[in-house]
Amino acid sequence: MANDRLRALEDVEKEIAMVLQCAGNIVLELSKDKHNASFMDRQLIQFQNSVSRVENELSGQIRYLTQVATGQPHEGSTYSARKDCQMALNRAEYAKVKLGELGRTCEVMLEQQQQQQT
Amino acid sequence: MTTQRVLPQSKETLLQNYNKRLKDDIRSIMDNFTEIIKTAKIEDETQVSRPTQAEQDHYEMHVRAANIVRAGESLMKLVSDLKQFLILNDFPSVNDAISLQNQQLRSLQEECDKKLMSLRDEIAIDLYELEEEYYSSSQWDSTDLPLCEAYRRRDSWASANSSNSSTHGEREDVDGPPSQETNPQHHLNGHGTASVEKP
Repeated sequence: MANDRLRALEDVEKEIAMVLQCAGNIVLELSKDKHNASFMDRQLIQFQNSVSRVENELSGQIRYLTQVATGQPHEGSTYSARKDCQMALNRAEYAKVKLGELGRTCEVMLEQQQQQQT
Repeated sequence: MTTQRVLPQSKETLLQNYNKRLKDDIRSIMDNFTEIIKTAKIEDETQVSRPTQAEQDHYEMHVRAANIVRAGESLMKLVSDLKQFLILNDFPSVNDAISLQNQQLRSLQEECDKKLMSLRDEIAIDLYELEEEYYSSSQWDSTDLPLCEAYRRRDSWASANSSNSSTHGEREDVDGPPSQETNPQHHLNGHGTASVEKP
């Protein structure tokens, strides 16, 4: 949900850039001796649509924040779950170390037996 | 009481400020763009000479274009401020993110523990067979310590060594008990790496 809103704001940033680009294209086209009317119309429609989209999206976001924002800081945390998970990983690592020792012990014993047989 | 009233008002004021900035910037873009288009219209000659009028129009268009760019930049800053405000104050999404993260961490922990438990069960069977093999082999002497006792003593020596090494900085106490040198097989068979690795 948070990612959706942040992604929407990133799209708004792209729309703002599109607004400026359309305005620049229209002025550039006006500076020419022969204007391409259809191109200018398309750019103008895109400019107006982008401006209205930017305004509507940002108004919606501000309205949503007016409803959900409080004056208090958020005090939630994932510390306990993260600590428990870290301890579980430490247990697994410890078991791996001990199994390694057991394996080396078995190898040493086998080598001794082979030496005794030879 | 007064402090509680101040904080929500600042948030409310901030959001009203955001609204105002949004309206002002959008209006600036639209007005300046409209005026640029109007200025581009070719008109009949007025009292001002053509070069002067052209220069004036040129300067006006520059200023209005700069205003449009400034308003666009201000909108980008507004979006950045809104993103920051959203991350800090959008409690529903923060709660969702925290609960999702907790769920993932707990599932990882449970999976880890479940695998460790199954590993423990399998290793217990193998260790039983290893002990059977060890106690029935020719290497085991009846005077030797049982594996569990050797393991317990090794752990107590290891803890004693860690406290001594912090004061002496050497590991000579590792070979303290003489029985360890005469019967290296205790540690070799129980915990071979301890005696193999020591100098």
